[in-house]
Amino acid sequence: MWTYSIKRVIQGIITVWFIATATFFAMHSVPGDPLLNDRAMSPEIRANLEAKYGLDQPLLTQYVVYMTNLVRGDLGISFVHENQSVNDIISERFPVSAILGILALFIAAIGGVIWGALTALYRNQLPDYIIMFLVILGISVPSFVVAALSQLFLVNVNELAGRTLLPVAGWGSVLHLLVPALVLGLSTMAYLTRLMRSSMLEITNSDFIRTAKAKGLPPARIFTRHQLRNAILPVVTVLGPQVAIITTGGFVVEIVFAIPGLGRFFVEAVQQLDYTVIMGTTVFYGAFLVVMVILVDLIYGYIDPRIKLEQ
Amino acid sequence: MSASSKQQKLLEVENLAVEFDTYGGVVKAVRGVDFTVDQGETLAIVGESGCGKSVTVQSIMGLIPMPPGRITEGSARLRGHEVLGRNAIDGKDIRGSEIGMIFQDPMTSLNPTMTIGDQIAEPLQVHRGYSYQGAFKEAVNLLEMSKIPEAAKRAKQYPFEFSGGMLQRAMIAMALSCKPSILIADEPTTALDVTIQAQILDLMQDLQKETGMAIILITHDLGVVARMADEVAVMYAGKVVEHGTVDDVFYRPAHPYTVGLKDAMPNNDRELQHELKPIEGSPPDLFSPPVGCGYCPRCPHAMNICGNRHPIDYFLGDHHFSRCWLHAEQVTEKPESLYVREHN
Repeated sequence: MWTYSIKRVIQGIITVWFIATATFFAMHSVPGDPLLNDRAMSPEIRANLEAKYGLDQPLLTQYVVYMTNLVRGDLGISFVHENQSVNDIISERFPVSAILGILALFIAAIGGVIWGALTALYRNQLPDYIIMFLVILGISVPSFVVAALSQLFLVNVNELAGRTLLPVAGWGSVLHLLVPALVLGLSTMAYLTRLMRSSMLEITNSDFIRTAKAKGLPPARIFTRHQLRNAILPVVTVLGPQVAIITTGGFVVEIVFAIPGLGRFFVEAVQQLDYTVIMGTTVFYGAFLVVMVILVDLIYGYIDPRIKLEQ
Repeated sequence: MSASSKQQKLLEVENLAVEFDTYGGVVKAVRGVDFTVDQGETLAIVGESGCGKSVTVQSIMGLIPMPPGRITEGSARLRGHEVLGRNAIDGKDIRGSEIGMIFQDPMTSLNPTMTIGDQIAEPLQVHRGYSYQGAFKEAVNLLEMSKIPEAAKRAKQYPFEFSGGMLQRAMIAMALSCKPSILIADEPTTALDVTIQAQILDLMQDLQKETGMAIILITHDLGVVARMADEVAVMYAGKVVEHGTVDDVFYRPAHPYTVGLKDAMPNNDRELQHELKPIEGSPPDLFSPPVGCGYCPRCPHAMNICGNRHPIDYFLGDHHFSRCWLHAEQVTEKPESLYVREHN
């Protein structure tokens, strides 16, 4: 267990290093440069500034400086926002995105398992058809459409009620969180529902369920003890990659609902060519994803005894 | 069944018929099966794949998925109480409590994410009201009874840590946990290699002697039948074509299909060795079951009547009967291979 975890962490560090290197060189090949401003600058001042920030050094030296800072945990200073280091921006904004993302993932996982199990129980009956229709909608309609529609819906509901039941946008309370999290988790929930349904159907026809019936166990016990745990395994497997989908999907939802999260900031940084913020956020998201995938693998080993973590 | 056995049998199955709705139409998988099983006795049901032997026992256990399955006719009585379509008789659950069942492939018949001990303990908790701790302790005893070494340690392991033979032992322990009066074994040794087969069969026989349970053994292996069975029912195309004691069926086969099965079986005894003869052709399509005898198209002795009318029961002994027109009095020249009753 411990050797496995340590091995995974080392692999994770190497992955993050790859991401950081790729980001560095990709940013370097982007046209334009950080000192290109609307204010005219004499060549002397420009040369002085480049010397100050090491921009006149060979690429490899710049890379070493960047990596050294990265290892120290210093992601640099924003080129656009005054007096803000990238570390400050992330520590200020990321919790907002994280709360939203975790809630979305939670809703998606719980919803996916419940809806998937229901469709399997009512296979080829009306509830199955209705849920599967909604699932197709959830997968195919992009999140900005769902986000905008849900805002429209909220406006109408609030108008009908004569007061603000649920805020349409913004940040601050739990109520602000609910609808964005639901919208953000929707496509993942739809995907997990389909996965859970097929996995449940496969398990229903398996030999060990027949054994459980032959043992005379009540249906509820067969469902909870024998079907659910085995059917949930594939769902847990995809949770790791789904974290990536939810965090990237977060950009759109954060903008539509005016949530001050990191995703929205990231998109703005790209638009404004805020070099350090782009690189820092990319590396941070990469590291976050790696951590989530390792976490899911460890959980998987706990749920499925056949997975030997030592190997 | 014959009128001579007036006293109540442990299990009496009468005229059982089961159908399945499929996209291709209605499959009549079982078309009127009857047999009885006595306390402490082993009945073997033999026949080739698709003859309805598994469906027969699964309908007794209530394991037929309905729909698409349907029991159209017949009854199965345990100590005189109807079990078809019921979950309990006399306040006792049938499945797992009155009748235990083991299956063909032990590797897939156990829940992969639950410990062996927990799985054996389950019926005790559900049917006998054991606490979890009590049931688990009893599960360890049952594993010991099934001759699994280091039972206490093994009970905490998962199915993937067991070999096939060990898993079948665990299945037996599980099926017998509530001391059922009948154990149904649906091809229990088909998926195991030969040495393990013998061990599993020995174990079943030992446990039968200890508990006095009846065993219904489904198999297509005549070697297993010879070793285990008291009585044999030979099934073909959803019907029992011959029924008798194991000696009747092996030494006095009275149906051409039984003879065919015997000719297709290898023999270790030098004097009895013969060339293996396959039964040509394939079983009839049960979407449109044959009007007459199902074996007619493959039967080397088929007569005109065989394709048109169902044979009636011809008794050749108290328990021995065959459903074949060759036993009719009008047939003067009977095949040599067939056992016939001498007319006095």
